[in-house]
Amino acid sequence: MSNDVVLVIVVATALAFDFTNGFHDTANVVATSISTHAMPPRIAVAYAAIFNFAGAFISLAVAATVAKDVVNADVITPTVVFAGLVGAIAWNLMTWYFGLPSSSSHALIGGVVGSAFVAGGADAVLGEGVLGKVLIPAIVAPIVAFVVGAIAINIIYGIVGRERPGTVNRGFRLGQVVSGGLLALAHGTNDAQKTMGVITLALIANGSLSSDASVPTWVVISAASAISLGTYFGGWRIIRTMGTRIIKMDAAQGFSAQGAGAAVILASSHYGFPLSTTQVISGGVMGAGAGKKLSAVRWGVAGNIVVAWLLTLPAAAAIGGATYGVCQLFGNGAAGPVIISALGVAGTALAFARRLRQEPVPA
Amino acid sequence: MFATVVDTKALLDTVLASVVAGVGVTAVFAILIFGVARSSDMARNDRPVLAVAAGGLAVLAFAVVTTAIVLGIIVMTQK
Repeated sequence: MSNDVVLVIVVATALAFDFTNGFHDTANVVATSISTHAMPPRIAVAYAAIFNFAGAFISLAVAATVAKDVVNADVITPTVVFAGLVGAIAWNLMTWYFGLPSSSSHALIGGVVGSAFVAGGADAVLGEGVLGKVLIPAIVAPIVAFVVGAIAINIIYGIVGRERPGTVNRGFRLGQVVSGGLLALAHGTNDAQKTMGVITLALIANGSLSSDASVPTWVVISAASAISLGTYFGGWRIIRTMGTRIIKMDAAQGFSAQGAGAAVILASSHYGFPLSTTQVISGGVMGAGAGKKLSAVRWGVAGNIVVAWLLTLPAAAAIGGATYGVCQLFGNGAAGPVIISALGVAGTALAFARRLRQEPVPA
Repeated sequence: MFATVVDTKALLDTVLASVVAGVGVTAVFAILIFGVARSSDMARNDRPVLAVAAGGLAVLAFAVVTTAIVLGIIVMTQK
């Protein structure tokens, strides 16, 4: 009975994480389209929500990768998963509060690594998996997106630089509708699957599923719905940072950034490297700005984003580990997760109410 | 050490594919816009042959971009 209560809390927490993932990462997909007026804000966000929902159904192959490659499956219990999710959600909400784009994927991995470390010691963390599957791709992917964005914008200006601005801007705005849709699809495919994997892992750890079972249909549908709902409600603060605070971009730069992001995400997916869509598209935006003029990029804002990236894994790990430790203070039953969930819901509601009062949603 | 932790070939292939796809598609899309803009200018200036040639270039670029997008979606579904 106690285990089932923890499992229900884990599933609810995982869906809450998925919602914050969509909410937080909406900016990756729509910010450039909104800032160049390729699409009105509400339409852009609804469009991204639809493609995120569709993307979640495209493939289930990597659904359990997060836990399989970064922590030892033997130490996984529903409480470890719960604590990892709390670490990820807390970091996502903190970075949203300050309007900083950061990686939900790395927050989830950091949270699970931290809680597994506290639960099972150093042997619980698969160091090679963390390095090879998370850290190195995390460094390479945004640099590649930066370079691609910078080269692409120079080629674009070389080809259409002497044409009428009206035709050129209309053309690239139309192009952004397509590249934005591709980015949203890629995001739904990558990120919704991580939540599906976490819920499936908790079901297996609880004995509700056999270890070789595939992802249940209700898990796929609920994860797809949560991420697309989160996307629809959109994190406007991060959209503002991504869309206007890093660089003031024109339609060609927006298209270059989205094109660079889509190319890197698709290529990485094809070759099996899990990565952060946030980091990739931020790299593309900076590259498209720096490619036109180095001083066009507000390097102070870019520096804050880099700091948030660097802090994501250790901060989410610390929160995840601390959460697991607090849960253990109440024993192995459901008391710890119930108390932490109640406190988390209350804290989140307060933060949302405060922020939404300060931040009217664009029409 | 690095080679045992990371699949170096896959990483280099990823970088190469990203650069070729990202730069290639944006360049071809720019050619599409160039073709449309020139075609419209030539037609306005009563130069029908050049207008048709620029329009043809735009159609060709459109076909290449569309093919690249379809291929991208196929790659995603095969992940």
